[in-house]
Amino acid sequence: MSDAFENVKEGDVYSFVKEKFSRTDFVRYAGGGGDFNPIHHDQKFAEAAGLPTVFGMGMLTAGILSRVPVEWFGATSLKSYGIRFQSRLWPEDTVTFKGVVAKVYEQDGVKHADLELSAITQKDEVLIKGFSTVRPWSPA
Amino acid sequence: MAFINPPGLPIERGKVHEFANSIGAEEPLYHDEEAAKAAGLPSVVAPPTYTSAQAFFGEKNAPNMFKDLDLDLRFVLHGGQEFIYERPVFAGEVLTAVPGEVVASTKEGKRGGSMKIFDTFTDYKNQDGEVVMRVKNTLLQTAGVVKE
Repeated sequence: MSDAFENVKEGDVYSFVKEKFSRTDFVRYAGGGGDFNPIHHDQKFAEAAGLPTVFGMGMLTAGILSRVPVEWFGATSLKSYGIRFQSRLWPEDTVTFKGVVAKVYEQDGVKHADLELSAITQKDEVLIKGFSTVRPWSPA
Repeated sequence: MAFINPPGLPIERGKVHEFANSIGAEEPLYHDEEAAKAAGLPSVVAPPTYTSAQAFFGEKNAPNMFKDLDLDLRFVLHGGQEFIYERPVFAGEVLTAVPGEVVASTKEGKRGGSMKIFDTFTDYKNQDGEVVMRVKNTLLQTAGVVKE
């Protein structure tokens, strides 16, 4: 079991900041994630839809937010991961990705932690609320 | 543009590497086959939201799904998504998305008029028929552009 699980307690926090999202970040995720909806990369398309400019894919923010439980408890530790999108990510936004331990418990003799996750901009706008349950996992 | 929909979603190291880079993840288990093997794993690990990306390339690819549900791309919002993992997914596995039910509902929104909500449920089975993960996806279509 990793140290993260041995020492975890309610209220523990893990966070990191991603400075100033660029349109290139959106395009890189279009390639990586396969989302070529033009609303995320085509200025004219965005304007025709009444928006000031393109906005980031929700799954880009969600993908980055998934790094919180992964970097904290390990890439094989996730039992669940859920996100609810609250508002849009715009170019130039700086975002804090954060996790807080809401609950620590044992299930079938295995330690579990429930995490509350969030992605919040420099304007204190919540982009995503998320949740994840982590527990140690090893190959059989 | 052609959309080819081969059966199954092969989890590939190169694609996992590219996807991990696109979310800024430096986790060695995503990028480094040697590190994964040293950890006792069959190959690199797919990041938690990786299959949502592969859903765009799979048999239920997004452009078709938008068409099937009669969604207008200009006004579609992704409401949320939930992943339940039986275990991690590894490169080398071939996943098949087994579409479950689609639950449609309507909600009166404050900002964009009335909103259609589509909850789709999908099980992902590997080449041995093992269900490795379950996903619930929520799409919203507003009546017009949502003003910020």
